[in-house]
Amino acid sequence: MVSFLRVFKFAFQDIARNLGLFSMTIFILVLMLLSVNTLWSMDVVTKEAVQVVKQQVNISFYLVADASDQAIKDLTSYIQSFPQVVSVKVVSRNDVLASFETRHQFNTDVLQALSELGSNPFGPTIVVNTKEPSDYKTIMDAVNVPQYQSLVEDENFQGHEDALDRIQSITNRVNQIGLGLSILFAVIAFLIIFNAVRVAINSQRIEISIKRLVGASNWFIRAPYLVESLIYSVLSLAITMLIMYFAVHWLDQYLTIIFPTGFSLTNYYRSHMLYVFGIQGVVVLVLTVFSSTLAMRRQLKV
Amino acid sequence: MISLHGVSKFYTPEAVVLKDINLTINAGEFVSVVGQSGAGKTTLVKLLIAEEKPTRGKIKLGDWDITNIRSSVVPFLRRQIGVIFQDFKLLPKKTVFENVSFALEVAGVSALRIRQVVPPVLNIVGLSDKAGRYPTELSGGEQQRVVIARSLVHRPKVIIADEPTGNLDSINTTDVIQILKKINEFGTTILLVTHNREVVNHLRRRVITLADGQIVSDEEAGKYVI
Ligand SMILES: Nc1ncnc2c1ncn2[C@@H]1O[C@H](COP(=O)(O)OP(=O)(O)OP(=O)(O)O)[C@@H](O)[C@H]1O
Ligand SMILES: [Mg+2]
Repeated sequence: MVSFLRVFKFAFQDIARNLGLFSMTIFILVLMLLSVNTLWSMDVVTKEAVQVVKQQVNISFYLVADASDQAIKDLTSYIQSFPQVVSVKVVSRNDVLASFETRHQFNTDVLQALSELGSNPFGPTIVVNTKEPSDYKTIMDAVNVPQYQSLVEDENFQGHEDALDRIQSITNRVNQIGLGLSILFAVIAFLIIFNAVRVAINSQRIEISIKRLVGASNWFIRAPYLVESLIYSVLSLAITMLIMYFAVHWLDQYLTIIFPTGFSLTNYYRSHMLYVFGIQGVVVLVLTVFSSTLAMRRQLKV
Repeated sequence: MISLHGVSKFYTPEAVVLKDINLTINAGEFVSVVGQSGAGKTTLVKLLIAEEKPTRGKIKLGDWDITNIRSSVVPFLRRQIGVIFQDFKLLPKKTVFENVSFALEVAGVSALRIRQVVPPVLNIVGLSDKAGRYPTELSGGEQQRVVIARSLVHRPKVIIADEPTGNLDSINTTDVIQILKKINEFGTTILLVTHNREVVNHLRRRVITLADGQIVSDEEAGKYVI
């Protein structure tokens, strides 16, 4: 019991008297954790952006005005049978008319012409969403068969092929940059940690040899360092979480403008907190314990 | 107190550092070990504190047979012997008092007992008034006296010192040797490895001379002969 309390006393005393080294190590760990979180957030945001872009890409089939309900149903279930299709929505004639009117509400000429017709000239519209933007061609070709020629008046693909290509290439580039940054950050983090470990090992080596010569057992030498590792991990993680909390709040101002889906990083972090920071906590703990074990391994071999 | 029977030490099969050493040191003796650089003096010390194991032979220290001592038992052996090295440093972030009490803390000695034991020991080495200082605030001689104080707190029956005065000027050397003599008068066995001719000649105690890993002379009231 006495020695158990002493282990904690030594750990805290060591930290208090090495405040310079302590704060530098914490600083490095926080930097590393922040870069991990930056990458993590970037990944989350990119995935969400791609998702949003994909959802905005859809195909509209404008049907003839006298299309029968049965014909519409047939076509809908035919389109739905393709595995690439995520959703099929039928916009009724009245809704098409209503949205046309809102779109042209300040154009009296158009509205005049419409009322002179006396009846709704629009047919229903089928809006199709596919998993991948590149799937649209399959669906268009599938509908472009004689069977449906009399039914479909016109078709429209929102965002043309070149726009899609651009999106695809931007997505690819973002992924490439993300990967490049990940590797860069990983290398930097490794170098920083490697160096910090080397400094720590050198300062610990002498200490450990002294402690051994005055009769400290291996447990008594190792335990304070393990307690310190734990303190390093918990503190650096806490600081990182605090910084991330403010950073994510600040970013969300902009994200809510970009994303119509109401996506927010704060919400993401809140709902994935245990997972995101749990993994990071374990990694930091393993790292700090590993580095001090490395330092002690040679000295404790006797 | 200390006995070696046919002890040899090779670091590699070619590098024979100690050859067939037979040696007995009785309780209360003050023995100096001299010899040229590379003669194997430090290796002998390392065998005695179980930092190295003998390649051949048998070593006993007090009641301990340390020839093949288990590593988990080594810390207990270390608490029975005082160890002093030329460069055996102090813990830099601990005060004089804490450095000395550390040797007791690792053995699980109570805080009350520590407060009783440490001050008299600091008094023996004349550092009572510097107990709160850090090692960097001490002279080399004072630091070595703290190391001696630390080696004394367990009231060891044996003190093993490897060139404890190697880095000290003659005044500090005299101080350290005086302290060792005083400790020896209390009944503690002392094994002193030294290069210092004056120290050996002044002591006029038993001198063992090593050369090429062998004992070439062993004299009571000996002199420094190399
Ligand atoms: N770990 C080791 N591995 C291999 N050889 C070693 C090792 N330690 C010491 N030696 C060799 O053993 C021999 C004796 O070394 P030792 O340190 O015992 O000498 P010494 O008498 O203490 O010398 P000095 O007076 O310079 O301190 C030397 O030749 C040295 O090179
Ligand atoms: Mg030596």
